[in-house]
Amino acid sequence: MRSWINRRRFMQATSSAIAVGALSSIVRPASAQSPGELRVTVGGGDVGKATIEAFVKPFEAETGIKVTPITDDSNVTAIELMVKSGNVTLDVCAVGQGTALTLDRKGLLEKIDYSIYKKEELDGLYDFAKKPFGVSWPVYSYNMVYNTESFPAGKPRPKTWAEFWDVKKFPGVRTLVSGEGGSEGPWEEALLADGVPADKLYPLDIDRVFRSLDKIKPHIRKWWSSGSEIQQMLADKAIDVGQSYDGRALLLVDQGAPIEINRNQAKLQWDFFVIPKGGPNVQNAQKFVEFISRADRQAAFLKTFVVGPTNRNAVKLISDEIARKLPTYPDYMQSSVLMNSEWYNDVGSDGLTNTERLIQRWNEWILQ
Amino acid sequence: MMKLFQKLGRMPIGLTIPAFAILLVVFGIPIVLLFLASINAPAFSATNYLGFFAQTANVRVLFQTIEVSVVATSICLIVGYPTAYLIVAASKSVRITLIALVIIPYLTSGLARTYAWIVILGDRGVINNLLLQLGVIHSPLQLIYNTMAVYIGMVHIMLPVMILPLVSAMMGIDRSLTAAARSMGARPLTAFWRVFFPLSLPGVRAGSLLVFVFCLGFYITPAALGGLRDAMLSTFIAAQVKNSFDISRIATSAFILLAIAVAVLFLLGLDLASAQGRTATTAWKSWVVRISKLDMLKRYFSRFSDSYRAKLWTTQLYQAGDDSRLSNIVGTMFVLLVMVYLHSPGLIVIIMSFSSGTFLEFPPSSISLQWYQTFFGDPSWRGAAWTSIQIGVAVAILSTIVGTLAAYGLNRTHPRLRSFLTMTILTPVTIPVIVVAIASYYGLVNLGLIGSRTGIVLAQSTGATGIVVVIVSATLANFDRTLERAAKSMRAGPLQTFWRVTLPLIRPGVIGGAVFAFLHSFDEVVITNLVSGYSIRTLPLKMWENIRNQIDPTIAAVSSLLMLVPVLWLIILYLTWWRSRLRDHRSRPELET
Repeated sequence: MRSWINRRRFMQATSSAIAVGALSSIVRPASAQSPGELRVTVGGGDVGKATIEAFVKPFEAETGIKVTPITDDSNVTAIELMVKSGNVTLDVCAVGQGTALTLDRKGLLEKIDYSIYKKEELDGLYDFAKKPFGVSWPVYSYNMVYNTESFPAGKPRPKTWAEFWDVKKFPGVRTLVSGEGGSEGPWEEALLADGVPADKLYPLDIDRVFRSLDKIKPHIRKWWSSGSEIQQMLADKAIDVGQSYDGRALLLVDQGAPIEINRNQAKLQWDFFVIPKGGPNVQNAQKFVEFISRADRQAAFLKTFVVGPTNRNAVKLISDEIARKLPTYPDYMQSSVLMNSEWYNDVGSDGLTNTERLIQRWNEWILQ
Repeated sequence: MMKLFQKLGRMPIGLTIPAFAILLVVFGIPIVLLFLASINAPAFSATNYLGFFAQTANVRVLFQTIEVSVVATSICLIVGYPTAYLIVAASKSVRITLIALVIIPYLTSGLARTYAWIVILGDRGVINNLLLQLGVIHSPLQLIYNTMAVYIGMVHIMLPVMILPLVSAMMGIDRSLTAAARSMGARPLTAFWRVFFPLSLPGVRAGSLLVFVFCLGFYITPAALGGLRDAMLSTFIAAQVKNSFDISRIATSAFILLAIAVAVLFLLGLDLASAQGRTATTAWKSWVVRISKLDMLKRYFSRFSDSYRAKLWTTQLYQAGDDSRLSNIVGTMFVLLVMVYLHSPGLIVIIMSFSSGTFLEFPPSSISLQWYQTFFGDPSWRGAAWTSIQIGVAVAILSTIVGTLAAYGLNRTHPRLRSFLTMTILTPVTIPVIVVAIASYYGLVNLGLIGSRTGIVLAQSTGATGIVVVIVSATLANFDRTLERAAKSMRAGPLQTFWRVTLPLIRPGVIGGAVFAFLHSFDEVVITNLVSGYSIRTLPLKMWENIRNQIDPTIAAVSSLLMLVPVLWLIILYLTWWRSRLRDHRSRPELET
């Protein structure tokens, strides 16, 4: 019995010590934001670090506006809740193209003020990168990648998606991106494999997409759904040939992993910087978004982390060695497909977007 | 006014007021509004629900979700029940160690654990490599990316949730009842089946309820370990949230899941009303019955003892000795197997945390401490850890207090009302966590608490309170109310009775509830992410960010450190024991002289 008492006393002593700390800290109010100060999501990991070094710090130095970088991603739900409840705690957000278009369709974003941009910077931006609702940064791609132990450079290996679909000629363990999210899926690849020319992909023929996917379905070992998942599969050499983000594969290549990226028939996609509507610092937020579009800033970013720039002039400021790693390298871009996110966001007569239509078909298809 | 309050306080249902107040303000009002959105109020139509069922995929995945949850719960029960039985039967020190060993895997990040299973089961994983090297197989077995792997991963996460309520319920069972049955000639199995098992049912129900309800909301583990077909309804809901945030459609899916949960729970007879068994009146009756049964036992016992006592006992003792030796070996083997299953992923995570590479790899090519240095050297990791501990402790304190009070009050209310109120308290655990997050966001916006620690604590407490209520209720079900009556008859006030009699007796349940409440908070990502308003970083948020962006071994290092916490707790516990025992030894000779 005595041991119980001792234990209880011990528990009481330790737990009350922690409890006092805990309770005194929770009554502290939410962190107060001084006027004009910006709160910006910059993404996590190395991307977040590079964003802080190349964009956030120089911006503070130039404008004197304080920026709190948040090393996380935001999403439709969080932004819609913020805007609709009139409690906007983010001034600038980095979001995917699909998310940006959805937010724009719902009227949750400020219009970008292009009058404050210098002409040379504005001309440098790709057309897809300067939209009324946001400025694009960065470009990335979905590529076919090989495990060079299974598919060495000298030997025959699948070069097009049609050849990827040819499991007899090129046997091996395969992976493709999962289509559960709708806006991201192996849709364009399925059509390319079925013989649709790259410039005739849109509007996507959804029936044909799934007829083509039927053929490859039994041969896909895993349909991956996050970047870290495919990265880990490649690092573990669990697959012979598959689809991956270029950045994830590049990271492994730079570390000496036996992996090679096939730039042919790559699919290009890009994120956006957007400004949620009704925030307290819209003017300063406009300045921050403008800062990101500049060629010299984008070039500075590329020196620490390789992604595709959205300002053509950025490439002039970097070495050719780095430029060849970019998904936007001119030679690669010729054989690449630009994702048409506007099509994904088109609303049909039934009130559904094409993304939602793809999700429904995918859900039926996987359970068949 | 004061009188009314006092009167209310005296009624048992009054004790549930704090729990319901938090639930209502943070979560209840917004969730009612969400329900109204799902039926298109004020026009009121069922179009959203018809639309849901018009899609065959939705109906199929609904059945699949239920099937997977039922199977996973059954496996947990089949494995968990004997484990809990053996833990309770063990000596006190072994028992505490085993309980800690059951809790430890629960502290490993779910994501790190899921990756550990990929390492174990993968095509080039530990098992396949071993079999290939031994020449047993020539091409890798497909152990992963199928439904089997999903069950292995889900049961691994849920087994502690099953075992702990079982243990706390079994600790409350009076072993002399089984002994009495045995002494009257009941075979061990009969004695177990007719006496022990019925008394342990509240634990079975509490454990199954928690596991089943949690399983309904799973989707990360099935996505990582399963094949293409292994989708859950939450997978579909997550895709909806990610893409369009059509609140009425998301709410519709959520309420269908809630309805299914309630229906299945009643179908399986898992509602807590029957779990707690006795109402105030029937408790008394059953006590009377039990007394008369005991009387009968005594009479039989004395009759036996009259003439056959000596003979019977020698044969029984002899048999029992033989029996228990065999069952001891089988039991030890079983517990050992369960522990190997529970701990092999954690062990792999620990080994990977010492890797010198920049990726999770197993086995690591070389050893270093760099990922621990990353953790301790980076103020954002340290700050997040400290924030999480503070929030976790606050959640544990708040939800243990209001949850225990509510369980105590519920135990004494009318069974029908009780089952309804219990289901209500469990809503935040039952419905998909993303819907809880959205509702809590609306609730906290009204209070002006978005982005504050208070807000996070309140939001996490809604779920944690439900867990505490379930675990404490299971303990209360076996609680002997006459002890309270006895205390009151000796002029103890209600508060004193609770503090000196009730609380010490239900302590295993309360501690179990507090531990789970803390862990619930410590592992929470979805709600916290939304209500933190991007101004507070907790450890799980930081880990989640890390795992999405770069799987470096920091995540393994953090998980390993988290596993150290219960081990340290255990060591301190032993040290205090050891000291008190030393003192006991010293004091004994003095008494003798």
